[in-house]
This record gives sequence, C-alpha cells and structure tokens, in this order.
Amino acid sequence: MPLLDIKNLTLEIESGSEKVKALDKVSLVVNEGEIRALVGESGSGKSLIVRAIIGAIPDHWKITADRLTWKGQNLLSMSQEKRRVIMRREIAVVFQDPTSSLDPLVTLGEQLEESIPAEFVVKGNYWQRKKQKREITISLLHKVGIKEHDACMKRFPHEIPSDITQKFMIAMALVSEPEILIADDPTRSMESTTKNQILKLLTRLNETKNLAILFVSHDLLAISSMSHAMTVLYCGQTVESGKVKHLLRRPLHPYTKALLDSAPSFQVNLPPKSHLTTLDGTIPTLQHLPIGCRLGPRCPSARKECVKVPESRNIQNHSYSCHFPLHMPTSGQGQAKEQTDQHVSAKEHAGASEKEAYVKFNEDIDGPPT
Amino acid sequence: MTVMLLVKDLIYRHQVKRTLFTKPECFELGPINFEVYRGQTLAVIGHNGSGKTLLAKALVGGVTPQQGEIILDGESLAQNERQTRNQDIRLILQHSKNALNPAVTIGSILNQTLVLNTSLDEKDRYAKIEQTLVKVGLLREHYFFYKHMLSDGQQQRVALARALILDPKVIVADEPFAALDPSVRSQTVNLILDIQQDLGLAFIYISQNLGIVRHISDSVMVMDKGKIIESGATNEVFCHPSKEVTEKLISSHFNLVDKHFEQLG
Repeated sequence: MPLLDIKNLTLEIESGSEKVKALDKVSLVVNEGEIRALVGESGSGKSLIVRAIIGAIPDHWKITADRLTWKGQNLLSMSQEKRRVIMRREIAVVFQDPTSSLDPLVTLGEQLEESIPAEFVVKGNYWQRKKQKREITISLLHKVGIKEHDACMKRFPHEIPSDITQKFMIAMALVSEPEILIADDPTRSMESTTKNQILKLLTRLNETKNLAILFVSHDLLAISSMSHAMTVLYCGQTVESGKVKHLLRRPLHPYTKALLDSAPSFQVNLPPKSHLTTLDGTIPTLQHLPIGCRLGPRCPSARKECVKVPESRNIQNHSYSCHFPLHMPTSGQGQAKEQTDQHVSAKEHAGASEKEAYVKFNEDIDGPPT
Repeated sequence: MTVMLLVKDLIYRHQVKRTLFTKPECFELGPINFEVYRGQTLAVIGHNGSGKTLLAKALVGGVTPQQGEIILDGESLAQNERQTRNQDIRLILQHSKNALNPAVTIGSILNQTLVLNTSLDEKDRYAKIEQTLVKVGLLREHYFFYKHMLSDGQQQRVALARALILDPKVIVADEPFAALDPSVRSQTVNLILDIQQDLGLAFIYISQNLGIVRHISDSVMVMDKGKIIESGATNEVFCHPSKEVTEKLISSHFNLVDKHFEQLG
C-alpha cells in the first residue's frame, strides 16, 4: 500500500472576483521506502502541494481531492487532533529557507531538544531526562554530519552558515523518526560539495532506515542522482510521472524534455558557448492561465487540439498528459487526434499499439516485460 | 586578442573589531592577479565565503582596495576615479529581484543610470533606453512597466539592460542565474552569449553552478579563503585540477553527472 496517495488534488484560490485553480488535478503517489522527486519551476505549485499535505492551507482556499490519504487514512476528513499527531510523528517536513524557518531568538540546541517527542525520554527519573535529551540531540547532529555539536547547539540560527542550518533542519525533522521526509528544495543555492553531502545523507537514510522521501526541487542533477521516481509539475498540472530512468531516457512530454535540455551538464556533445535549447516565454502567472493544456502557448508542438485539457494516460506506470507525446510518432499522435475528434476517452484508445510501442522502447532498459 | 581588464596585486583587508579586548577578525582578499580578454568569459568559482563577491565589489568600486592596480583597456584606473569605472565596468547583482526599485517604472530606473553617467539630452536618453530594452529581448512598452509586473526572467533582463545601457567594456555578474528557473535560465544564458558575441564584452562570471561555468566560460579562476589558488583554461582546470579544493569541488559535481548517465545506462 502506498504511504502517501494523492489523486486529483485541486486547490482553488480566490483572486479578486474569480477563482483560480492553483493546483489542477494533481496526482502523486509515494510508496514505502521510495524517493520520489517532485520537479517544477517556481510558481508551478510544488510548495502548495507540500502545504496541502501538511495541512497548512488557509481556510478560505478550497481544497478538493478524490484521494488524499496517508496509509489509507483520509487526511482531509480527519479531525485536527488526529492529523496533528500524524504530522508530529510520521511525516516530517524540511522547509525551503532554513534560516528563516527556525526561531531566531532561541539557540539551535534548545530548538532541537524541544522537538524531541516526550515518549523518547521516559527512562530513569525526571532529573536525568535533560541529560538524555542532550544525548539524543548530539547523536542526531552527528548522524546528519555536524561534527562540532557543541558549537552548533549554543549558537543562534543567524550565526551559522546556511548549509549547516539545512543539515540542522534535517536533524530536526528526523528527531521523531518519521516514515516520510518531505524536503522542500533542500539543496537550493548550495555549492556542489555541500549539495553532495546532503544528497548522500538523504540516500543513506533511505537505504538504512527505509525512509520514504518526497524530494521537491528543480535541480535535475540532484534528482537524477538519487531519486527512484519523479513527477513533473507545470503550472499546477502534473505533466508526466514515472520512474526516473524512463523519464530521463525517453521523456514523453515536451516540457520534461525542455527541462532536461536546460541542464548543460546532461548533454554530451554540446560545444562550449553554443546555444542551449529552451522553450520561449516564461511560466504564466495564476491570473493569466491559458485554457486547456497550460504549456500550450510555449509548447513547440502545440496544435489546435491543445485547447482541451489532455487526459492523463498511463502505460506501465509511466503516466503523461499530452495530446502529442514525443517519441510516439505513429501511435500516440494518431490516437490523440481521434480522441479529440470523437470525444472518446483517451484511456480506451491508449490501447494495444501504443502500449506495444512503449514496451519496445523500454525493453532495453528493463529487459523483456514479464 | 587584446587584454581588456588586467588586475595586478589587488589587496583588500576587512577588519571587524567585535569587543574591546579581543583581537580583530581579519579577512584578507588577495593579492589577486588576473587578466580578461575582449569577448572572453572568466568564471570565478569557489566555496561560500571565499571572497568571490568581495572581489566583484572591489572590481566595480563597491569597496576600495588598499593596494593594487586595475588596468582597463590599457589605461590604469585610479582608485577614486568613479566615472570611468562606473561606465566601463558594470555589475549584475545576485538577486536582481531585490536590486530594482519597486516604486518607479523600468524606464526611470534606466533613465536614472543615464542621467547620472552621461550628458545625453532627454530625447537621446529615451531612444537609448528603447534600444537597450529591445537588445535584451524586452519590448519598448516595458518602459512604462513596474517591477512587479514582470516575471523573474524579465527582471533579470532589466538588470542586464541596466548593465548594458552605458556600453560597458566589462560586465561582472555575481550569480546572475541562481534565482532563475531552468528554462528561463537557458534563455538568459543564450541572451548573454549573443550579446557577448555582438558587442565583444569581457565577462566575469561568478557562480556555483559548474555545469553552466563549464559551458560559457573560456577560463576559470578558483578562489579559496580570499586567494586565487588555481586558474587556467576551462577545460584544463576541469580535466586536470591541481589543487585539492578544486578537485573536490569539481569531482562532487561530476559525481552527480556520472550518476545521471548511469541511470541512462
């Protein structure tokens, strides 16, 4: 059973007189022990999804979902108290900006000690508990790779460099031994050595403790080096989702391809100082969303069918929503055209031939399908 | 190839005295020696706190170095000569978002730069602004826009326009792409490459992103604790780093790249 299961999450925000769908039918599944990356540019609603999961959404925003479940329990219909217990013990979040999400008036050591759940310090008499807390804190700091624990614990958040604060935030998230860690852009503006350390730390936690991680970022280099699966988000719509291996090798959605092209390190035969391939324009603001497929105005292969929202199609756990997927010249586009002409559900049409083509593509990655 | 900017023995000391009896904390930048050729890009890489931004400030005159000489296009710049320096060496700041005045239009931000640095009359200034806006890929109408009406990428273009409007010879860019999203970042990289080719600018690019450094730079300079520890042609430094710090920095980047290609199989 998946740990976190989100299906068709829609978030409506009132802006002026009209309602805007900041998230439009987003689906996301995190399985046990899986590192799932959530990729998207700023303004695509990555952080909104994180906020929807942890329940930090203002009351006047309307949130609807077919499913928003944590281990089978519906998070939306749950009582506040119950949800808070889950948030406290089972889901941990590392927020975007570490220095500003810590209390500036309290030393780091105190903040970490305060976040230790009471049931972890029950041994011995009450006067021994302070010492126990301190021991837990120190071992945690060592675990995340902060060696000078004394210097760190006595300081205030603004006094230490941001990469150590980031590690500290991870330590704070791990204190309650959660089952899933939601890391919101943990490697933003870091130099490559520190970034590597943090990624290694997260990978190790995943391997040793079977910790599931939802890794929210737009750093494709980091994502492709550690994640198992990824979901690409554009403007509040999921455009593609599947195994990292498959997505990197054969992106089906033009946006995924554009993202991959934008990293010069990924291209082997790129002459220095040559132009990078890129999409025109920028991500639209919430007030000016295009109808239909939201990538429409920027998409190189957009046609008139794209004014309809493409349905999400699923082939072998690789789902995408595009009328004209890349790498499927014969089957995909023809199917899509029929779909729009006859208003038939795409799922029925994404049938035999398309699947065959896809399986053929991936045989060399996975071996023959069983 | 002509040398555009030559920096000789630049030294800047920064002292902070926190309390009466403790020894003052001292950060020393330099001595720094390097040269940049016309139409070439020099990238500066290094860990956080290695003095990269301080070097940028020292070049554009944000801080006054205690010692050293900056020779621009064959002429030595006196330390207090603000006029030439402001016009010929321009800085693009790390967060162009916060570096634009939200209360006035883009046009008047650019106009201000011209009023303070040139003797053009109003009509010429307007023409110059329009011309520069088009050059960086914006529209003439953006003259009347405010900062908040523009997207991140467009704001970055305005920052670039502000640097370009005085027809500089050298542009110093401190992490110009850090705050940008991948697709917009590629656009800006392309734009900068184009402009460099058209105008023959020398470009000093300070960054953490080694992928882009490798792509756009001709030579690389590695800084650590205020000193230059290694410099050379980009390929040379990336393939055969001689110092441990450089090697760590580069290998950790290529570790990630290798993992990516492993995924591809």
